[in-house]
Amino acid sequence: MSIDYSQEAPTVAGRLTLAQIEELVARPMDTKPNKKYFIALSISVSLLLIGATFLAFSLYYGTGLWGNNQPVGWAFPIVNFVFWVGIGHAGTLISAILFLLRQRWRTGIARFAEAMTIFAVMCAGIFPIIHTGRPWLAGYLTPYPNQHALWVNFTSPLVWDVFAVSTYFTVSFVFWYVGLIPDFATMRDRTASKLKKTIYSVFSLGWRHSNRHWTHYEKSYILLAGFATPLVLSVHTIVSFDFAVSILPGWHTTIFPPYFVAGAIFSGFAMVVTVLVFVRKIFDLQHIITLDHLEKMNKVILLTGMLVGYAYAMEFFIAWYSGVQAEQFVFINRAFGPYAWAYWIMVSCNVIFPQFFWFKKIRRSIPAMMVIVILVNVGMWFERFVITVTSLSRDFLPSSWAYYKPTIVDFGILLGSFGLFFTLVILFTKSLPVVSISEVKAVADGAQPTHHGGADHE
Amino acid sequence: MNSNKKIFGIAATFKTPDEIINAAKKVTNSGYVEFDVNTPYPVHGMDSAMKIKPSKLGFVTLVTGLSGAAIALLFMYWTMSVDYPLVIGGKPFFALPAFIPVTFELTVLLATVSTVIAMIALFFRLPDNKHPLHDTEYMKSVSADKYGIVIESTDAKFDEAAITDFLKKLNPLKIEIIYYPEEEAYPIFQPKFIMLLVVITLVVSGGTYLMLNKLLYITPFNWMMEQDKLNPQHSSELFSDGYGMRTPVEGTVAKGFIPYPYMGQTNPTDVLSNPFLPTKGNIELGKGKYFTYCSTCHGYFADGDSRLRGQFPNPPTLHSKRAREFSDGMIYHIITNGQNVMPSYASQITREERWAIVNYVRVLQRAKNASESDLIEMNKETGSNVTN
Amino acid sequence: MSQTDFHYQKKDLPAGLSKIGLILFVVGTVLSLLAFFVDQERAVFNYLVTYMMIVSIGLGSLFLIALEYIAGADWSTPIRRIPEFFAGVLPVLLILVIPLLVFNHDLFHWAHEEAVVEDKILKGKAPYLNVTFFVIRTFVFIALWSLFYFVMTRNSRKQDQSKDQMLTKKNIRLAAVFIPVFALSLTFTAIDFMMSLEPHWFSTIFGVYFFGGTVVAALAAITLVVVKLKEKGYFNPWMNDDHLFSLGALLFAFINFWAYIAFSQFILIWYADLPEETFWFLTRWNGGWVYFSLGLIFIHFLVPYFALLTQPSKMNPKRLKFIAVWLLFAHLFDLFWLIMPNMGSMKSGYVFSWIDLVFPIAGIGIVILIFNYRAKKDNLIPIGDPKLKRGIDFHL
Repeated sequence: MSIDYSQEAPTVAGRLTLAQIEELVARPMDTKPNKKYFIALSISVSLLLIGATFLAFSLYYGTGLWGNNQPVGWAFPIVNFVFWVGIGHAGTLISAILFLLRQRWRTGIARFAEAMTIFAVMCAGIFPIIHTGRPWLAGYLTPYPNQHALWVNFTSPLVWDVFAVSTYFTVSFVFWYVGLIPDFATMRDRTASKLKKTIYSVFSLGWRHSNRHWTHYEKSYILLAGFATPLVLSVHTIVSFDFAVSILPGWHTTIFPPYFVAGAIFSGFAMVVTVLVFVRKIFDLQHIITLDHLEKMNKVILLTGMLVGYAYAMEFFIAWYSGVQAEQFVFINRAFGPYAWAYWIMVSCNVIFPQFFWFKKIRRSIPAMMVIVILVNVGMWFERFVITVTSLSRDFLPSSWAYYKPTIVDFGILLGSFGLFFTLVILFTKSLPVVSISEVKAVADGAQPTHHGGADHE
Repeated sequence: MNSNKKIFGIAATFKTPDEIINAAKKVTNSGYVEFDVNTPYPVHGMDSAMKIKPSKLGFVTLVTGLSGAAIALLFMYWTMSVDYPLVIGGKPFFALPAFIPVTFELTVLLATVSTVIAMIALFFRLPDNKHPLHDTEYMKSVSADKYGIVIESTDAKFDEAAITDFLKKLNPLKIEIIYYPEEEAYPIFQPKFIMLLVVITLVVSGGTYLMLNKLLYITPFNWMMEQDKLNPQHSSELFSDGYGMRTPVEGTVAKGFIPYPYMGQTNPTDVLSNPFLPTKGNIELGKGKYFTYCSTCHGYFADGDSRLRGQFPNPPTLHSKRAREFSDGMIYHIITNGQNVMPSYASQITREERWAIVNYVRVLQRAKNASESDLIEMNKETGSNVTN
Repeated sequence: MSQTDFHYQKKDLPAGLSKIGLILFVVGTVLSLLAFFVDQERAVFNYLVTYMMIVSIGLGSLFLIALEYIAGADWSTPIRRIPEFFAGVLPVLLILVIPLLVFNHDLFHWAHEEAVVEDKILKGKAPYLNVTFFVIRTFVFIALWSLFYFVMTRNSRKQDQSKDQMLTKKNIRLAAVFIPVFALSLTFTAIDFMMSLEPHWFSTIFGVYFFGGTVVAALAAITLVVVKLKEKGYFNPWMNDDHLFSLGALLFAFINFWAYIAFSQFILIWYADLPEETFWFLTRWNGGWVYFSLGLIFIHFLVPYFALLTQPSKMNPKRLKFIAVWLLFAHLFDLFWLIMPNMGSMKSGYVFSWIDLVFPIAGIGIVILIFNYRAKKDNLIPIGDPKLKRGIDFHL
C-alpha cells in the first residue's frame, strides 16, 4: 500500500491534453450509433412501451386495475414517486454540494449526474400526475383564479410536493443547461455538419468563452449551487413530510426529513455508480471517470447507508422508549408480520451489504461494486415499500387491517418508469456531452497557471 | 482579405495559461480598456489580471429571492387567511410554519430563474450568434484548447499597427484580425425576429383561445362543468313530470319553526299573555318594529292616518274603545294571524318583536287616553304644564 | 517522501490566556458553589447546561478532526491542532460528569423509584432509564471518546517527529470507525442527559438536533481561536484568507443544518398536534419561555445567516470573530432552552435568577485552561502531516 497523502490524486488520469479530453467526450456525438447502442435502446424502449401500455389501460379502465385497497390507499404510485425523486438527488448533490465543498473529482461525473437527476425527476413526476386516475383534470389542482374562492390547501404536504418537485426540476434543468452552454459553444466550433452547427449555435446562445462572461458565469454557478443545495435537501424533506405530518405510527416520527435525505443520496449514488460503470466502459472515459471517483462514491454510499441504518436504529429504539403501543407494534410487525420478507430484504440490502465497502478492495472492484449498488437500489425501493405499505396495512384498528398485493399493472408501470429513465439516458449519451468538457479541461494537468498568488476572489 | 471591411479587433492566441495571464496583465497595464480574453474554461487569476470587478449578479439574486418569499407569503395569506379561511387541522388561518415550505421553494425558484435570465439577457446580452468573433479561426481555437486575447477597435488607443506590434512582442501562436460580419444587422428589426414574434403571438393567442373556448368544452375536460348532479331550473329524467326542482315532502317545516296553535281562530286571548315587561328596552324595540311594519297602515301614532287613508277599507285607528279593550294576547294574535285585509306578519316579525309591538301599542294608547294621574305624574317629571 | 521544512518555531500562547482561564474558573466555581447552596436544583440544572456545552465543544472538535481524515480535506490540516486541543476536554469529562450522576435525583424523574412505580410509561422505560445502566453508559461513552482522542492525537503528535505516513493511514481508519461510534454515543448522551429530563417525551431526531448544535459550537470555538491567533501572527505564513473562508462557509452550512433540523422537529410535532408530543413545545411557550423560543430562531439562525451570507463576509476576520462568539452564546442559549424548562418550578414560565449566569463562567475557564495546557504540550501546526503543504497552499 504505497499511498502518498502529500500528493492529491489527479482528477484526470493519464495526463490527457485538453484536445484529447474534448475528443473523447465529443466522440459519441460525432459518431453514428452502433449495434450495441441499438440493442440497449431497444431494450429500454420495450420496457417503456410495456409501461405505457399498462398506463393506458389504467387510465382507460381506472385505477381499480392497481392493487390499492383499503386501508392501503397509497401503494406503488407513491413508492415509485419517492424512489425516483430520491435517485434524482444524487445528481444535484454531486453537482452542487460537491462543488461547494470544492471537491474537484466531481467534474468528470457532474454532467451525467445532473442529467440523471432531470430524467429521474421526470420519471418521478409521472406518478403524481397519473395516480388520481384522471390526469387530464390535473390543471384544476393549480391555484387558478375562480369565482368560488376555491384555493389549494397550501398547508398540505401534497401541495408542498408540487412546488418542491417542480422547483427542483426547473432549477436542476437550469443548472444543467447553464453548464451546457460552454460545451454547446465548443461543439458548435468543432462540428462540420451545418445542421448540427445551427442547433448548437441556437443552444449555445452565442457563447464566446469571453472571460468577462466567465466572471458572471462562475458567480452564477456558485449562486445556483448555493441554492440547489438547500433545495435538494428541502425536496426530499417535503416528500418525507407527506408521511411524517400524519399521526400514523411508523410514519409520524421526527427523524424522517434527514433520514429520507440520507436515503435519497444513498440510492441516488448507487444509481449513478450503476450507470457510470457502463458509461465509462462503453465510451472509453476511464481516464475522466476514474476508479478513484468510483471509490469516492462508494465511500459516500457507505456513509449514507450507515446514516440510513442509524435512522432505522433510532426509530426502533424510540418506538420502544416511547411506550406507545401502536408504535411498538409497527416495528415488530415490520420485522415479523406478513411483510417481513420485504423488511429483511430492505435491511440486508441497505445496512448489511454496503458494509462490504469498508474494504478497499471491494470499493475498487467493478464487479463487486456493481452487485452492491444494484442491491442498494433494490433495498431502497423496498424501504419506501415497507414504510408505505406496512404502516397502512396494519394501523390502529385491527378490524381495518388488510393485506396489499400489487397487480401486474403496478409492476408494468414501474418497469415502464425504468424504461423511460434508461431510454432518456441512452439518448442523452449520444446527443449531448456526457462529461462537462469545460469543467474537466479546467482541472486537467497544466490547465491552470502556475504562478497564482494571493486569494482569488472570484 | 477584404480591405474595405470594418475591423472589429485584433486577436492573439497563446498556448499556455501562464502566457495568457501574462498577456492579460500586460494589456491591462498598457492602458487598453476595450479588450477581452477568451478561454475554453475560466482561468484562475484572470479576473485580477484583467482588473475586472467582482460580478454584481448576487444583487439580482437577493432582490428576486426576497421578492419570491414576499409573493409566496402574501399569496398564501390572502387565499388562506382572507379570501376563504378554513380551519384545517385546528391550526390558525395564518399557519406560518405550514407556509414555510412553499415560501422557501418559491424563493429558490424565483431567485435562480431570475439570476440565470438576468445573467444571459442583461449581463451577457446573449443570445447573439452574429458577434464578429463567431466562425473565426480564433474562436475555434479558444473553444478547443488555446487561450486568446482580443483588443477591440472601439478602444481609445486602437491603432492597427501599434497593437499588432505590441501583441507580437508577447509571443503568441497566431495573430488574427477580426472583421465585422458583412451584413449590417439591426438586430431588433430583422425579419426573422419579427416573424418569430408574430409566430409566438399567434401560437399563444390561438392556443389560449382554443383552450379556453374549445378545449375546455370537449370531453373529458368538460366533466367538471357538466356534472350529473341536479342543478336548479334544469329538467330531470328521474321524475315523471320532468321537473328537477321538487317541492318539499309533505310535513316539511322550516328550521326553527314553532307552530302557532291558534291560526285561524279569532279569539284565543284567554290563553296568550305578554311574557315581556314593558321595560325601556322592550318599548324601544317595539317602537322600531312598529315604525317598520305597522306605521305604514296605522300611522305613526296609531291614528290610522297613514297615506293609505282614503283607500277602501281605511286602516283603523288603534285608539278606539274596541282596540283599547283588546287584551295583549288579542293584539298579538291579530299580528300573527292577520285580520280582514291585514295580512299575517308572523313571517316578518319574530315572536319577541310582536310582544314588544304590543307593549308599544299600549304606550300609544295610554298616551292618547291619559288619565289625570298620568298627567300629574308627567308634569312632575318633566316640569311641564299639560292639562287634559 | 520529501517534506518541506516549514521553519516552524514553537511559540507560546499569549500569557494572558491562562490567567484569564484561571480567573474565570476560580470565580465561576466559587459562584457556582454558592449557587449550589442557594438553590440546589437550579444549580444542578445549570451545571448540566454548562456540562453539555463542554461536551459539545470537545466532542464536536473530535468529530471535525475525524471528518478531515475521512474526507481527505487538506485546507484544515494547518489548523487541525486547534480542534485537537479543544478535544482535550473529553477525558476531563470523567470528573466533570460526577456531580450530575451524584445529583441525578434533582435532574431526573425516572431516578425516583417511587415515581416510576406509579407511572406506567416510566415503568416501561425502566430497563433503559435506570441509574445503573445510565451510569454505565455515561462512563462507557466518555471512555470511548477519550480513547479515540488519545490515540488519534498521539498519532498526530508522533507524526510531527517521524513524518510517517502510516500514522495518517491509521488515523483515517480510526476516524472511519469513530464516526459511527460518535453518532450513537452522541445520540444517546443527548437522550440520556437532555431528552430524559422530560421522560414522557420523545423525538427520533433529537440526536441529530444536538449534533447540529454541537458542530456549530465546535466550529465557532475553533474559528474564534484560529482568527485570533492568525491576527497575532501565530499562523503566519501558513494560512490565508481562503482558509478563513472555508471556516466561514462551514459555519454557514451548519447553522443552516441546525435550523433545518430544528424546524423539522417543530413542524412535524406542531402539524400532527398529538398531545403526547406537543406538550414539550407548549412548555416552551409558557410565560417567559416564549421569548426564549422566538429568540432562539433569531439568535441561532436569522442573525448568523445574514451575517455570513455573502462571500466576503465569510472570510472577514472581524465578522468571523463576532459571529463565532455570537454562535457560542447561541449554542449555550439552545442548551438552556432545551434543559431548563424541564425543571419543575420553571415549567410554567421562566423566572430570572443570577444562578443562570455563573456556571458558564466556570465552563469557559475550564476549557481555556485545558486548551492552554494542551497547547503547551504540542506544536501549533502538525508539521509532520503529509497533507500540510497542500493545506498551506490551499486556495479557492
